[in-house]
Amino acid sequence: MSNQHATPARRFDLGATLLTLLTIIAAAIWFFPVYWGIVTSLRYDDQTVKDFALIPMEPTLKNYIFDIQNSNLPIWYLNSTIVSVGVTFLVVFMGACTGFAISQLNFPGRKALWWMILASFMVPVSALIVNHFIIIADVKLLNTHLGIILPMLIAPVTVIVYKQFFDGLPKEFREAAVMDGATEFQLFFRVFLPMNWGVTTALAIITFIGAWNSFLWPFLAAQDEMMMTVTVGITAVQDTFGVAYGRVLAGAVLAGLPVATAYLLFQRRVTQAITLSAGIKG
Amino acid sequence: MASVELTGLAKRFGAVEVIRGLDLSVADGSFCALLGPSGCGKSTMLRMIAGLESVSEGQIRIGDTEVTHVEPAKRGVAMVFQNYALYPHLTVAQNITFSMSLAGDAKAKQAEAATRVAKMLQLEPLLGRRPAELSGGQRQRVAIGRALVRDPKVFLFDEPLSNLDALLRGQMRLELARLHADLGRTMIYVTHDQVEAMTLADKIVVLDKGKISQAGAPLDLYNAPANRFVAGFIGSPAMNFLPARASSTAKGLQVTLGAATMTLPARATFAAERPIELGVRPEDVRLTNSGDGTLPGRVAVVEALGNTTFVHVDTEFGQVNVESDPALRLEAGVNVALSFEKDKVHVFDAEGATLPKL
Repeated sequence: MSNQHATPARRFDLGATLLTLLTIIAAAIWFFPVYWGIVTSLRYDDQTVKDFALIPMEPTLKNYIFDIQNSNLPIWYLNSTIVSVGVTFLVVFMGACTGFAISQLNFPGRKALWWMILASFMVPVSALIVNHFIIIADVKLLNTHLGIILPMLIAPVTVIVYKQFFDGLPKEFREAAVMDGATEFQLFFRVFLPMNWGVTTALAIITFIGAWNSFLWPFLAAQDEMMMTVTVGITAVQDTFGVAYGRVLAGAVLAGLPVATAYLLFQRRVTQAITLSAGIKG
Repeated sequence: MASVELTGLAKRFGAVEVIRGLDLSVADGSFCALLGPSGCGKSTMLRMIAGLESVSEGQIRIGDTEVTHVEPAKRGVAMVFQNYALYPHLTVAQNITFSMSLAGDAKAKQAEAATRVAKMLQLEPLLGRRPAELSGGQRQRVAIGRALVRDPKVFLFDEPLSNLDALLRGQMRLELARLHADLGRTMIYVTHDQVEAMTLADKIVVLDKGKISQAGAPLDLYNAPANRFVAGFIGSPAMNFLPARASSTAKGLQVTLGAATMTLPARATFAAERPIELGVRPEDVRLTNSGDGTLPGRVAVVEALGNTTFVHVDTEFGQVNVESDPALRLEAGVNVALSFEKDKVHVFDAEGATLPKL
């Protein structure tokens, strides 16, 4: 008797296999420089232009130890953390508040405000950087955390994303809460924000990574070595050590490590959160 | 407990008048269904009572209080929405007690209320679950629980069963009827499903284009519809309509339907023959042998449901639906004749108003 419930043999799909191969090759090409940077940072200086093996023959942490002991890396880390956390919190919170106001509240000038935000999205930050520098210098905020943070708070994308998500929520959620006696603050903090937790998490991670990696503005705003962020600080490492590739790349790995770790840690959380905010099953 | 009184209620969106000078009185403890097709203004009317829609003109009273411009939460009403509007990030218990939590009630009081309501609605094992882990019927019960916990004077339901399948809808209808019997509160229920309205309500308000077409007890609307719209809307399967001509006589209305003439017990003010429309429900039409009845026809479709059979007969005035004896065996293509129970035939004038019976 034949087994009718047997799983049919999987057919070989040439198209899918080729696509998978292509994806693997593309990923390898993208990842190779990162990998090469890591292995180079694990080699002795005299080996960097001699040892081309994929795995270092004599791996060492000497470059990392040197960077940590002979630079202001811990302070730069602290500065980067203060700036990134501050920017992330303020951008996400203000973006959510503004998105909620434009999406849910009726007030004079609402449409004009929305158009202004959309218009600001079309102006590249680099076009404003001189103005930012002059203003921050005028208010004596150069070489301060606040001076680095303030111009980085211009994030119209966050407002746009929140507005679109708040617009997309069925109006019955708002009305049910209004019937229950919710104020606008309660609506925001107890209904709209928690229901879009996935968006908030995703935006927070993206903003954090962007703030941590930002270079141009912190480079201009923090001229004092003790106020530099990691991304700015590692350029000083390069200046100090000349072309010591191992040390420079060890600095780059250390600078990128927290962001990569944060993303890897929160990746699953982002997926879960977005699934949750997708709402009730049908 | 409270009655609901609407006086001269109107709602305009720009130049469009959705509700037009509407007067309605819903007695204390009544279950009133607002029935009508899509776009007739029934949901707008409910939302105006809830306070979710502003009033362009007129007055709303709940009990002894005028609430026309009072905030929704202070009207003493609770609403159950069509899509349940349960917060996906909260558990069943948190959803039920959301209003208490907003008001800052103590956790113990909230827990006690959640348990009490869950017991009433058989939701006790589900209190810790989130809405995504519930079936459609369970979600609907949670939405009702959220209304119950507020202990409102008036419950408002906006098509609460329309997202459920037929079987579940039947069960939930029974639960709502039981709830109304237990609580004795005033309930206003919006639906486009006349079966829901007929089975649940003690008063049905049929709305057409923002105006009340007829309001009354379900069977009054079924047996004595005020006009063609109500006659066509109430009853499933729908009433059959046949174009005819009639003139008024001392004995009643002399009606000419095709080649047949008959006298119907209806009163009209016109003496000269005029076009009218006859309305007859499927159960008031009789199938007879070809050549015997009032209207000849040919069987088009036979729907045997077991307990009853619907026979669709093609006539010169269109298709007529007949509810016949389930034992009767008929096949499509057979010539038959139709006769009507004269007392049960409704007569509508050219404007669609029902002519009064003699």
